[in-house]
Amino acid sequence: MTSAGGTPQRVLVVWCPAWPEPGRDAGPAVDAGPDARAFEQVVAAVEGLCPRVEVLRPGACAMNTRGPARYFGGEEALAEKIAVAVSRRGFACQVGVADGLLAAQLAAQAPDAGMIVAAGETPAFLAPHPVERLGNPELASLLPRLGIRTLGEFAALPAAEAASRFGAQGALAHRQARGLDPRPLVSRPPSVDLSVSVTFDPPAQQAEPVAFAAKSLSELMHADLAARGLACVRVRVQVICTDGQEITRSWRHGGLLSSLAVAERVRWQLAVWRARADQDGRGPSATAPGRLHLAAEGGEGSGEGSGEGSGEGILAGGIALLRLVPDHLVGDTGHQLGLWGETVVDDGVARAALRVQAMLGHDSVARPLLAGGRSPAEQVTLVPFGDAAEPRFPAGRPWPGRLPAPAPATVFPAPLPARVTDESGAPVTVTGRALISAPPAWLSAHGEPWLAITSWAGPWPVTERWWCPASACRQARFQLVAEDGSAWLAVVRDSRWVIEASYE
Amino acid sequence: MTWIEFLFDSESVRAAVTQITRTTGVAGLSLRHEDGVLPGQAVLPVLPALRELLPAGGLQRGSVVATGGWSLLCLALISGASAAGAWCAVAGLPQLGVAAAVDVGLDPGRMLLIADPGPGWPQVVASLLDGCELVLLRPPDRPSAQARRRIEATVRRSGGVLVVAGDWDGAQTRLLLARQEWTGMGAGHGRLRARRVRVVADGRGASARSRARWLWLPGLDGSVAVADEIDSSPGPTWRERSTG
Repeated sequence: MTSAGGTPQRVLVVWCPAWPEPGRDAGPAVDAGPDARAFEQVVAAVEGLCPRVEVLRPGACAMNTRGPARYFGGEEALAEKIAVAVSRRGFACQVGVADGLLAAQLAAQAPDAGMIVAAGETPAFLAPHPVERLGNPELASLLPRLGIRTLGEFAALPAAEAASRFGAQGALAHRQARGLDPRPLVSRPPSVDLSVSVTFDPPAQQAEPVAFAAKSLSELMHADLAARGLACVRVRVQVICTDGQEITRSWRHGGLLSSLAVAERVRWQLAVWRARADQDGRGPSATAPGRLHLAAEGGEGSGEGSGEGSGEGILAGGIALLRLVPDHLVGDTGHQLGLWGETVVDDGVARAALRVQAMLGHDSVARPLLAGGRSPAEQVTLVPFGDAAEPRFPAGRPWPGRLPAPAPATVFPAPLPARVTDESGAPVTVTGRALISAPPAWLSAHGEPWLAITSWAGPWPVTERWWCPASACRQARFQLVAEDGSAWLAVVRDSRWVIEASYE
Repeated sequence: MTWIEFLFDSESVRAAVTQITRTTGVAGLSLRHEDGVLPGQAVLPVLPALRELLPAGGLQRGSVVATGGWSLLCLALISGASAAGAWCAVAGLPQLGVAAAVDVGLDPGRMLLIADPGPGWPQVVASLLDGCELVLLRPPDRPSAQARRRIEATVRRSGGVLVVAGDWDGAQTRLLLARQEWTGMGAGHGRLRARRVRVVADGRGASARSRARWLWLPGLDGSVAVADEIDSSPGPTWRERSTG
């Protein structure tokens, strides 16, 4: 219903007086349940004439008149048709048409079954209405006390003064009072497609023209976003082949990628695609030197994949379409330094990391962040390269009961199942009071052969977050040294032994 | 107090502070003074305790070092250069304990972790070598001779060092953890405190002569230090229960 431009849209509002208007009703808030359902019939009747109806609240709905009015031969004809359709369902209604939503609502509520405000006459129509009709309770109480009682008086204020005195809300209300559409509050109307694309006809056979097109596309996208005061957090690069195959990869953008950088990412993406095609399908021997010659130099195609696969070339038909989709739009509030954390990443490293991300995905390259916690796995948070993140648990706190130094060199991403028995071969158990059934004597980690335990320490009971059932954890730790000199960090959890880490 | 001031004059205050906290004495600090800036040098610095094991006194640029398998030794090898400002990428080691790496002196701010380099790992390693001076790799599979030579060529061209947590046929230097003995723990009491390891180094060319040293890896304070020979050593100050 809103547009950012200067000319407001023609809006038609259907108002059914049977439904009380919230806010204007003196009584307590009315339960809208049954009313809302009944109003569905009104909406259905209106939708029979024009499909894109927005329900403002039970009792009022709105639509853009542009298409329907042309189809039915004018706004009057449209309004009449809607009024007839609704009354046929047994509801009384009034129809108003004006520039912008606020004026259309007021027009619908005008006496004598609503009215149609001609284009351009909206400010004059709005002027005599009291400021309460802005629907902003704060302004409704403030403006009359300042001597401004009607929308006309409010609209007479200079826009800059209104904005500086009443803030963003005031500026918005001021636009409405002047018969303009309020500036969109949401970053963008969801219907607007901000993606930019280019089709290649004939299909592009080489990476270079695609990367070149990506550069100008990216410039276009940046200009478009900047014109709307937006920035995107990520940009999604989508490449579609003539045979329908598609490769999509999201790049964290943060407003920091220049158009050249975007073009470079497209190039990497294509190179990886090419390399993968070689590996999966045809093998390095089938590499056509002239096509997509930008396949990463040095070490591409390990040679393992040759000779198998269907033999279909992924790039058989060439590239038909390249599309850049700005993802996760936010208001452009300027850039912030320190995206990479405290250490400055030099260009070569960033390049290498981004290239590997192009091959394996955004999450494949991580930077470790030291965190707090009692177990070795908790003490590190892995952050995908290029993302800024906070550790899961803050570091630098005492964490009583944490594992004592030295830290284990190997921390298994998923704990290994293990078996620990005493001399007689019976599993060692730990009671709730942290007493062991017998000294551990034999260890078998992850199904490996049994090893005699030469020294051990524990159990060290740990009861964490008992107040939160979801993350509560109750366990007992042991350090075990086996006959071959290997040292293990074993944990008894739910009466089961697992190896959490090893001191290799 | 004077050496503290000196440290704050050098560029990499953080690395130096790490060194202060991680190493026992001034021995660890000498690393920064002597080796200085990294680029242009033929050798990447290593921890002082490891210097005698390596024929060049450090990690020769453009070379491949194999360590036989994954252990703290891999981390100790690269920690000297990392503390001196080199970027370090680790590929194929999802189980790497970052806390242990920090304890031996690695700078976590200059680490890239690639948990699973996938079937195209030679290309991943080549890309990493373009940006990072140190790459620690555990190969997911045995590379073909062609792929291996291609990686070695990339190492030479980039002037970095590839440390392989495993075997590598063309490695210039090989280090092996021959024996390990944990101390500090008994039957049901104490805790793991320190480990004595015997590291054997050999290789090709200048490093053909085999060398062996006893090291504390890690020592009582978490650092890496040279240990006395096992037979002549009276043992550490606490009650030692070696498990060899």
